[in-house]
Amino acid sequence: MSVLPEFENHAEQTVKMTTCYMCACRCGIKVTMEGNEIRFIQGNPDHPVNKGVLCAKGNAGIMKQKSPAKLTQPLVRKAGTARGDGEFEPISWDKALGLLTERLRKIRATDPKRLAFFTGRDQMQALTGFWASQFGTINWAAHGGFCSVNMAAGGLYMTGQSFWEFGDPDWDHAKYFMLWGVAEDHASNPIKIGLEKLKRRGARFVAINPVRTGYQAIADEWIGIRPGTDGLLALSFAHVLLKNEQFDWEFLTRYTNATQLIIDAPGTSQHGLLLRDEAGELQVWNQTSDNVASWTESSHENDVEAALFGEYTTADGVRVKTVMTQLAEKYLSEDYAPEKVAATVGVDAETIERLALEMAHVAFQETITIDTPWTDWTGRHHEKFIGRPVAMHAMRGISAHSNGFQTCRAIHLLQVLLGAVDCPGSHLAKPPFPKHIAPPIKPARAMAPDTPLSSPPLGFPMGPEDLVVDANGEPLRIDKAYSWEAPIANHGMMHMVINNAVKGDPYPIDTLILFMANMSWNSSMNTAEVQDMLREKDEYGDYKLPFIVTSDAFHSEMVNFSDLVLPDTTYLERFDTISMLDRPISEPHAACDSIRQPVVELDRDVRPWQEVLIDIGTRLEFPALTNPDGGAKFKDYKDFITNWEKSPGIGFLAGWRGENGEESMVGAPNPDQWQAYQDNGCFFEHHLPPEQRYYRFANKDYLEWSKSVGFNAHSGPIVMELYSEVLQKFRLAGQGLYDGPQPVHEVDKQRLVQYFDPLPDWYVPLEEQRVDNEQYPFHAVNQRPMFMYHSWDSQNAWLRQIMAQNYLYMNRQRGVKMGIEDLAWVWVESHHGKIRCQVKLMEGCNPDTVWTWNAIGKQSGAWGLSEDAPESQKGFLMNHLISELLPAKDGERGLSNSDPVTGQAAWYDLKVNIYPAAAGETGSYPTFDAVKRLPDMADAPAVLRYHTHEPVNLERSLQDALSRGHLSSGDKR
Amino acid sequence: MKLGLVIDLDTCVGCHACAVACKQWNTSGTTGPLSDYDAYGKEPSGVWFNRVRHYEVDDFPNSKTINTPMSCMHCEDAACVTVCPTGASYKREEDGIVLVDQSKCMGCNLCAWACPYGARELDEEDGVMKKCTLCVDRIHDKNLPEAERQPACVMTCPSNARHFGDFDDPESNVSTLVRERGGYSMMPELGYEPTNKYLPPRQRPAAPTVERKAATSGESLIGKWMKRQKDAFNNLGKGAR
Amino acid sequence: MHPALSVIFFTVTAGAGYGLLFLLGLLRLLGLAPDISPDQLVAMGLIGLLLVTAGLLSSTLHLANPKNAWRAFTRFRTSWLSREAVFAVAFYPVALLWLACEWFTGNTAATVFFGILMALLAVVVLICTGMIYATLKTIRQWHTALTPVNFVLLGLFPGTLILSVMLAQQGLMFEPMARLVLVLLVIAALVKVIYFYWIGQPAGPTINTALGFTRATVRLLDVGHASDTFHNKEFGYQVDRIRIIWLRGVSIVLAFVLPLLLIGGLLGEVGFGMLLLAVISAYAGVFVERWLFFAEARHVVNLYHGMQRT
Repeated sequence: MSVLPEFENHAEQTVKMTTCYMCACRCGIKVTMEGNEIRFIQGNPDHPVNKGVLCAKGNAGIMKQKSPAKLTQPLVRKAGTARGDGEFEPISWDKALGLLTERLRKIRATDPKRLAFFTGRDQMQALTGFWASQFGTINWAAHGGFCSVNMAAGGLYMTGQSFWEFGDPDWDHAKYFMLWGVAEDHASNPIKIGLEKLKRRGARFVAINPVRTGYQAIADEWIGIRPGTDGLLALSFAHVLLKNEQFDWEFLTRYTNATQLIIDAPGTSQHGLLLRDEAGELQVWNQTSDNVASWTESSHENDVEAALFGEYTTADGVRVKTVMTQLAEKYLSEDYAPEKVAATVGVDAETIERLALEMAHVAFQETITIDTPWTDWTGRHHEKFIGRPVAMHAMRGISAHSNGFQTCRAIHLLQVLLGAVDCPGSHLAKPPFPKHIAPPIKPARAMAPDTPLSSPPLGFPMGPEDLVVDANGEPLRIDKAYSWEAPIANHGMMHMVINNAVKGDPYPIDTLILFMANMSWNSSMNTAEVQDMLREKDEYGDYKLPFIVTSDAFHSEMVNFSDLVLPDTTYLERFDTISMLDRPISEPHAACDSIRQPVVELDRDVRPWQEVLIDIGTRLEFPALTNPDGGAKFKDYKDFITNWEKSPGIGFLAGWRGENGEESMVGAPNPDQWQAYQDNGCFFEHHLPPEQRYYRFANKDYLEWSKSVGFNAHSGPIVMELYSEVLQKFRLAGQGLYDGPQPVHEVDKQRLVQYFDPLPDWYVPLEEQRVDNEQYPFHAVNQRPMFMYHSWDSQNAWLRQIMAQNYLYMNRQRGVKMGIEDLAWVWVESHHGKIRCQVKLMEGCNPDTVWTWNAIGKQSGAWGLSEDAPESQKGFLMNHLISELLPAKDGERGLSNSDPVTGQAAWYDLKVNIYPAAAGETGSYPTFDAVKRLPDMADAPAVLRYHTHEPVNLERSLQDALSRGHLSSGDKR
Repeated sequence: MKLGLVIDLDTCVGCHACAVACKQWNTSGTTGPLSDYDAYGKEPSGVWFNRVRHYEVDDFPNSKTINTPMSCMHCEDAACVTVCPTGASYKREEDGIVLVDQSKCMGCNLCAWACPYGARELDEEDGVMKKCTLCVDRIHDKNLPEAERQPACVMTCPSNARHFGDFDDPESNVSTLVRERGGYSMMPELGYEPTNKYLPPRQRPAAPTVERKAATSGESLIGKWMKRQKDAFNNLGKGAR
Repeated sequence: MHPALSVIFFTVTAGAGYGLLFLLGLLRLLGLAPDISPDQLVAMGLIGLLLVTAGLLSSTLHLANPKNAWRAFTRFRTSWLSREAVFAVAFYPVALLWLACEWFTGNTAATVFFGILMALLAVVVLICTGMIYATLKTIRQWHTALTPVNFVLLGLFPGTLILSVMLAQQGLMFEPMARLVLVLLVIAALVKVIYFYWIGQPAGPTINTALGFTRATVRLLDVGHASDTFHNKEFGYQVDRIRIIWLRGVSIVLAFVLPLLLIGGLLGEVGFGMLLLAVISAYAGVFVERWLFFAEARHVVNLYHGMQRT
């Protein structure tokens, strides 16, 4: 081989590990630097999340770093100019923080809830939540209310583990994988890695999704379901399984509440609750003694034969029936028969039945075992882990509907019937999950001036008494989370904050702090009107939302609507933690966390938001951040992370604890902890020993360990709640029967009764219930393309070359029938508004569905793009069609367009009508005035020629050029 | 040696990771920079060596979405090399990589005309033709860890749909994959003998189902289960259901 | 294919120049033009060379990096473009030597030698130009023996026509030249019509063979780039069918029909003026023909961009 030149001057290069932040996946990256320029960003091969691979976004990190939209200095809205006009002037950090601190100090000393602090796609909710608690405001949440809460809550209230990012399919053992409503969702790279593993092993992959793009492209079978009907499909599968007697009797008996007894006492406060003895122990029916016995006892004792089925009357005359009986009665009903649901879900009956029986075959006739002995929580010894290798994963397409919580439960129900939860080949929890149902944290309600909250703002209500409402039952939180309208709104309801605050409903606020949340654009429903709300003034000429503070790294549409802009760094310029107290990066068989470290030196006057939070908190003298003498407890963010402890021995980072770094998970603060992470590729992994890897909800060793490291409050079993007593309590409250708080408003009562079925249920999505479906025949949904998923900067110069305009996709045959041609401009109308956009016809799309790529559309001038960029001229947002409120009904207060259980924004419920635009009507509608450039913003270069060194050309000798003949004529190679 | 890629259409999800990784590596690579025009403007475009396109095969509801990353196929009978008047385009004898010597190209575009696969793109700023180098500046760089001596696109692919190796070695990963999975060439009828091969989507037989039980009413099923539950209980732990 | 004006001008103009010089040499060698004086011959020869030079200069305009143009002589072994370059450059000294011989020595052995060589090279360059296109299997509309034949004929016909005008202007050889022009015109027109018919036949790769999915309809879902790329700009040129047919008509009328009528005396007495009109018409017609040659060529890369067949 000829001698090659030295292409790279390795001596001039340095390599640093850190963690990606181009989306929520949090992959490990290895960054090669040349001076302060990035030569190459690649996946860290040792990293538990991505194992060396990296997606398109991660590979485009250089262009994020080079974005002309980067903020360069703190900005304040120019005095005398209107909000949203985009007139800013620079302000020093000192002045900016001084000004903000003074304002916040007054709020904190008087009425802390007048500060609302909401964050977008951040991964530091443990820190921001801590900060809000210390401030003393309950008005804090992240963006989960329009993202994932249905998945998180649906799982955590049923199996103690969730889809979303709390678990993963067992890619190594699953033989059958069913993917429900997933675009490029949590998580990005792990799912891709996993799908390939599955396919290589010959496992079957069935995708349920109205649209066949992305992962569904490579599915063995695609089920183009009608949006919002997944729950009905899942329950029809359950019907087929029951009808064919395909359910895991042992699993249901041992690990779920299927044997527990539901009290049948209609019209009383006990109706539908689970039977308990005087000590509060849950009861089962002992077949041997024909009497009740405690569930715990029945689990331990082999002579207590708990009945899975049956209706009984206790010695006290209480009529009861087992959960499984009620469940079987419900789902065996012909209402769920495939023939009955086929038309609604858009899948033929034969296919529904076949799929259910395929899963049953895999679960029960292709059972796998892992020969590792383990002990269950009762002390019973098992020789092996039995695996029902049917795995499922579900996400956005389930989550973003107003029936998403119950739909998510319906999918979990299938898993439980098949015995396919946290066993080999099924869906596996990632530590710190599974957790008890539900984790014993109650949402904070009480507030007092200058006082931290006594519990976190977000928690897990277990009944009406845990709601965050006042004595009259009215909401206490600005977003109305945990109110009767959304009792289990565990991630808050960020989508309602601006609307509520501007209306002063339930009360006006003073300051809104937003971090990485584009609430005046793609992160809000009803974008145009939200912009108007942000501009709205009261009769004195003051803004109804008096002060808006935004921290972002880029010139987003929200920055344009801010009064104070605190510029953040990019992910490559700061220290950060991805903590197990937060949304950890764990793998099913390893508890993991990680850090970021700066790899690029800062070149402008910006500060990491983490650092700013600690700074402001110290200035405000938060008890956790200051000594009694008022001095700072921590000198900066790094110091805080190292030394702050949530409880003794437990802090933000679990690795290398103890004074000398010899302890994992729990241990005293280690002054060299950051360095230890940096030395280990910026992540920490605690591998579970083989006997702790499955059945963790009942696995003695795991449960004891999980308690010892603070994941769970006790080491008792996690009993899956097929029947949710929590939901039944709310339903009783709606019926006026609950022994505790009850709603006042008729609409709340009616919703509790209708939607809080303690068994997984399906109902028509709320918007669909209220609009004329002949007038609005299409479902309209959206997804983000893989190369932009979860990234809030698609102005990225490389990624926007892949896509800079979104289209409205629709089924070709349907389009042709309607006389809509490929690339035609059309009007799309919902009950709320109308937009104009361009159509693309495709095959892999449910005929009743139209969809688009979300968040491609930008406001002209934002994100460093030219004013005529296609993102603003031809791209569009579906958000304009989506109202944050349900279509109004006479005599009813405005109800948020959300899941009635969790408050999850129901942005997939949208129904629309489409008709061709008139000749000459082109370009997207509505359009907005161009966002003005910020002071001192650099010009965007017309031509980019990014490179870190002069290229070393591989030269061909002239002699070779002259002498070689035709390639195929003998002397090739 | 005959180095090239195998691309698995059964697992490619069309995420564009390979395309961007390629862009990232090569913009500072041996033929860099890869210019981007109107990067923040109306018609963003630029030089890429690898592009991913998306197709649909067959009609709804039987349609299958196919994602196809395409880059230089490093053809055995590379027409781009044959037609090149300046000798800038050549196929390396050592490993079969088709390259453009940037110092010799006059930018006549004829090689791009000769290439059926759209592998070559003119850099308007440099006035020379650029193309996939198979990361010649990675795969032969002895200073990189051995596992990283692979094209950037292959290293980054999250769905393991890209494989790099020596087609001359019948036992290599790529030869084995092509043999076992029926790897094929795109547009073989032109006769350029592309080295890169594509693996077609796997055809899977119908999945077995449990036998469908005769219809019984719901109530009688629960009754039957009640009668059975004592036995069932006694069988707990013995794999009963 | 994108019809680049520089390349169209080059092939049409230089083609006519080569045709002119070829015929001039031939007439001389065969002793068919005894009345042409050395002055007249050299003047006509230089005009031919002028056409060639204008064309060649224009051809360098489409090079993105012309400073490396000299390297185009290196790959003579495989590249028709390299061959064209070598022969085109070799043509100059030979043509100049021939003219010099004619001027200084008259009809000698050297004159004959350089004359033959010059005429040969003129045709060879035309063939090379045609072969550049004909060897591209990626463009089925070009990948045919008709391409070089067409290039040769559409060099000879207008070249001959121009020569005949110059001769007519000098009052020379009016009748035989007109007959020759008509013969070439008819052959060239015939070949072009055959070509149009031939490219109308469905053949070549389809989107199915391009992707390897041959059992069902294949449609592009997303092309994967936001704006036009090099490939779209270079290969994506599309003209609608109606316009193509219309332009084909224009090209045939201008290149062949009108000159036929003019030279055939069907529009009045044939004289210098008529011939000059015929030249202008033919040049414009061939220009349109060459534009169509590019515009109608559909590169297989378009299949990847969603075209069903080339």
